[in-house]
Amino acid sequence: MKHLVEEELVGQAYGEGSDDAGRHLEACGECAQAYADLKNDLAEMKPIEAPARDAAYGERVWGAIADSLPVYEPRPRTWFGMGLIRGLSYAAAGLLLAAGSFYAGSRWQQGRTPTTAENKPPQPKRNARPIVVVVLGDHLDRSERLLVELKHVDANNAEMMPPLRKEARSLLAANRICKADAKKVDDPALQTALDHLDHLLNELANQPGGLNAASVSRLKDEMDADGLLFEVRVLRSRTRNRDLRFTDRMSGGAA
Amino acid sequence: MEQMGGDDQAAIRAVLSGDKNAYESLVLRHSRTLFRVAYRITGDEADADEVVQDAFLRGYRKLGTFEQRSNFGTWIYRIAVRCALDKVHHRRGDDESRVGEESDPEENEVQVSDRAPGPDRLLLSREIAGMQEAAMHCLTPIERAAFILRHMEDRTTEEIGAALGIRPNAAKQAVFRAVQKMRRRLAGLRVNT
Repeated sequence: MKHLVEEELVGQAYGEGSDDAGRHLEACGECAQAYADLKNDLAEMKPIEAPARDAAYGERVWGAIADSLPVYEPRPRTWFGMGLIRGLSYAAAGLLLAAGSFYAGSRWQQGRTPTTAENKPPQPKRNARPIVVVVLGDHLDRSERLLVELKHVDANNAEMMPPLRKEARSLLAANRICKADAKKVDDPALQTALDHLDHLLNELANQPGGLNAASVSRLKDEMDADGLLFEVRVLRSRTRNRDLRFTDRMSGGAA
Repeated sequence: MEQMGGDDQAAIRAVLSGDKNAYESLVLRHSRTLFRVAYRITGDEADADEVVQDAFLRGYRKLGTFEQRSNFGTWIYRIAVRCALDKVHHRRGDDESRVGEESDPEENEVQVSDRAPGPDRLLLSREIAGMQEAAMHCLTPIERAAFILRHMEDRTTEEIGAALGIRPNAAKQAVFRAVQKMRRRLAGLRVNT
């Protein structure tokens, strides 16, 4: 008779043993004794008791993270999401509107005096470069979240890299606005932290050949060596009550 | 439980529609479970608190990828286990040096009859708890987490594999190795009468 090995006994003890192992235990006194010993040992291994957390614990956790959470942009509703019939009725209404507009437009065009560019009334010039406002507290929140993500990212999981890179690019633009304006507020600690952040974001966003396990590991080391996450957390707590807004005119939306 | 799952789904839909405060109900509902498993894996209260926060932050960021048919509780639990494991990995250097100091089995050996009732038994329980804690330091982080999830959290092999990001068979092996090491370490405690 072939006796059960310890691994099979452990599986059996946790309710994941095979039927054959169960039958063997009923028939074999030696294995039954070994199994009883194992059960005794397992019974002695008591669960680790976690310190009590009261009913308000969840509220404290929420209070600690709520400010750091960005708001999700509502997803555009899909045809299927709206329901096929509703979708089709919208489509029909849209077509009707387009046809009506086309007809009205062509009628209007027929009775209209041609206008040249010269006799058009002068239009006020619109500023082509939008103003971007970066709130420092929000920027530090987002930076902290990225650093925490980087700290915990599974470097071997290639799927995790593109979102990190995308966020780093977005933050890099905002960081440069903050850096430029930080000089005006004469805050050396802020300037130093933003410099460190700039360096790291730049590497994250523009690493030649993309991010891989080695580059992520190096960046984590750099981040730890600089104590960057700590620096950002300190600055964030300092700026929490100061609504510092840095403004720049640029061609893209960074904030 | 089904109602809870339905509440979770409604909250997730609200968050993804732009109502970030809807996430609060998820945090309130699952915080204590996450704290318990985080504490068991990290063995440190402050680390466990940090793990809970990190897990919810990470969960929020990934909420867009969450499958609506899945169970949020299971999903966020897995994230918390990963965060806790990351924390342990990070601290591992310190832990290893501590294990080296405490790993002499002779030094820790306490031999008491395991059938003795009364105050002796109480004392023995405390000794066992201390020894168990020391024995758990012999485990690798994966073995420790797998053992905790199996022995203390009643998770199946498949669930353990999913939480630790390893195949079920590897999870089963990790549990077995952990039990084997723990039994060897604790064997010195008992003299059967």
